Amino acid sequence: MKDRAPAVRESLVLLAERARPTSSSESQLLPVIPPLQGLFPGGGLRRGTSIVVAGDGAGPRATGRADGTTSGLTLCLSLLGAASSAGSWCAAVGLTDLGAVAADDLGIDLDRLVLLPSPGPKWAEAAAALLGGVDVVVLCPPFSVRPAMARRLLALTRDRGAILIVLPGRANWPECPDLRLVVGNTRWDGIGTGDGHLRRRRVTVTATGRRSAARPRRRELWLPSMAGTVEDAGPDGPTDAPS
Amino acid sequence: MMERLLVVRCPELLEEDEGGALLRTFIRVLAAVEVYCPWVQPVRPGICSLPARGPARYFGGEQALVDLVTEATAAIAETQVGMADGLFGAVLAARAALVVPAGTTPAFLALLPVTTLGDPDLAELLARLGLRTLGDFAALPERHVLGRFGADGALRHRVARGETGELAGFRQSGMDRHIQRHQHGDRPATGTQGGFWGGTSDRDARAARTLADVQRLLGADGVLRIRLQGGRSPAERSRLVTWGARETPGDRTLDAPWPGQIPPPAPAIVHTPPLGAEVVDDAGEPVVVSGRGLLTATPGRLSVAGGPWTAVTAWAGPWPAEERWWSRARRRTARMQVVLAGQDARLLLTEQGRWWVEATYG
Repeated sequence: MKDRAPAVRESLVLLAERARPTSSSESQLLPVIPPLQGLFPGGGLRRGTSIVVAGDGAGPRATGRADGTTSGLTLCLSLLGAASSAGSWCAAVGLTDLGAVAADDLGIDLDRLVLLPSPGPKWAEAAAALLGGVDVVVLCPPFSVRPAMARRLLALTRDRGAILIVLPGRANWPECPDLRLVVGNTRWDGIGTGDGHLRRRRVTVTATGRRSAARPRRRELWLPSMAGTVEDAGPDGPTDAPS
Repeated sequence: MMERLLVVRCPELLEEDEGGALLRTFIRVLAAVEVYCPWVQPVRPGICSLPARGPARYFGGEQALVDLVTEATAAIAETQVGMADGLFGAVLAARAALVVPAGTTPAFLALLPVTTLGDPDLAELLARLGLRTLGDFAALPERHVLGRFGADGALRHRVARGETGELAGFRQSGMDRHIQRHQHGDRPATGTQGGFWGGTSDRDARAARTLADVQRLLGADGVLRIRLQGGRSPAERSRLVTWGARETPGDRTLDAPWPGQIPPPAPAIVHTPPLGAEVVDDAGEPVVVSGRGLLTATPGRLSVAGGPWTAVTAWAGPWPAEERWWSRARRRTARMQVVLAGQDARLLLTEQGRWWVEATYG
């Protein structure tokens, strides 16, 4: 928790800067922590838009129950950190077994995070209701989503000025999002053959989108870092664990 | 086949007033109905419809859905809720607070006066001919209707016969947009214009209302919060609480020292309960932790919950731990971190020769 204070302060400063000018396009942005800003056109989460977060296909596979595992989960949670610290409400539909410590380390205000781990067949209705009153809705659809339903949720997202983050996992999300984030080249650091421990994970996050975001943006990140946060790994960053 | 529709009609909100207060109330009705079905459609001021088939299944029948919607909207405005096939029938059913059974809408319409077609001239003409109900009108042969009452009369005739679901012009076009404009003008402080500093408490209030609605939809225990508490294992450090429930102070404080904690970063997923797993060496022999806290062989492959085997590419531990686990008994356990092919990382726990996946670093 202590390690996070500078990052939070930084995002608050950023936020204050955003709040000052009253250009409508800027007040439509929710902040993200600095290492992630380069992934977003405008540097933050734009209200009314949708984001799909996915692993590159090498994520943990099905284990006989819907455990919500995907290599994109930490990235997805890290998107909520700055916005939630700044007062935005976040909800996660269909996300089971979330670790409180990881969420807290990523800067999420647990008082403003609501979980609907097993919404059952009413998941779409629940998500639709949430889009009307919560700023950021994370959706881990328990089943593949029909195109009409996906379009309806996207329309609600636009109308209500919410942000929809879809973590499809093994389910299918049929619609093209405004921004797609893919976690790839993952490599864990600090663990050997019987020695060390999981210290941090190096990943490449690629963002592709529509219109102004059509050109792919790439960031090398520690996700999570040694403190359980997100840090810039830099293109030439060390690839081995410091001792 | 005409669509099965639930209609909510707000008799006090059928007009639009200068300041838009009536429309704002109608928007609140829409929001309340939307909890039961996101597909709710504003038809015209004071009237909205939703496709009823799916929601009726979820909520235990058509009458149950009508009751739920009636209850949810009653506090906001006077509402009439009904159900029938097609919009025309459903609006009339709402006026009478009726659920017209599927397939019987033409019979229901046949009993209603011709004035319900919304054309006073036509109604007067029909009355002079002795035709007082929609059923009387519907019984006229179609070709005679076109000759006597024109194209407009023919359209209403089709509605009366139950061949067309709604009267032309009844649905106000652009209602969606109209409401949207109004909504955004109505709440300048909810983030879009108020910025992030102003309007926070407003946002909190809106979130609280929304969450209460979602709890009505899913049940109170369907909406949870997660709390941090002290403990050694990731599972011990997370606690789920029902949204809005009074908090009982945890028996474990964060500040107390917890020797044996796994060093950070913490796993994003904490499996509750843990998933059964098997660990074998390259020869396929089970790997266990000996009484002295050492692995009996090099871990080669892992299978979770009877799933496929995945190669173990790196591991750390085992770290012995003696503690209270998910049962209250004291047990000898050990933990091990593994990285699998594809760089998925798991936290394993072993007890008496058995393995569990306690957490996943997603």
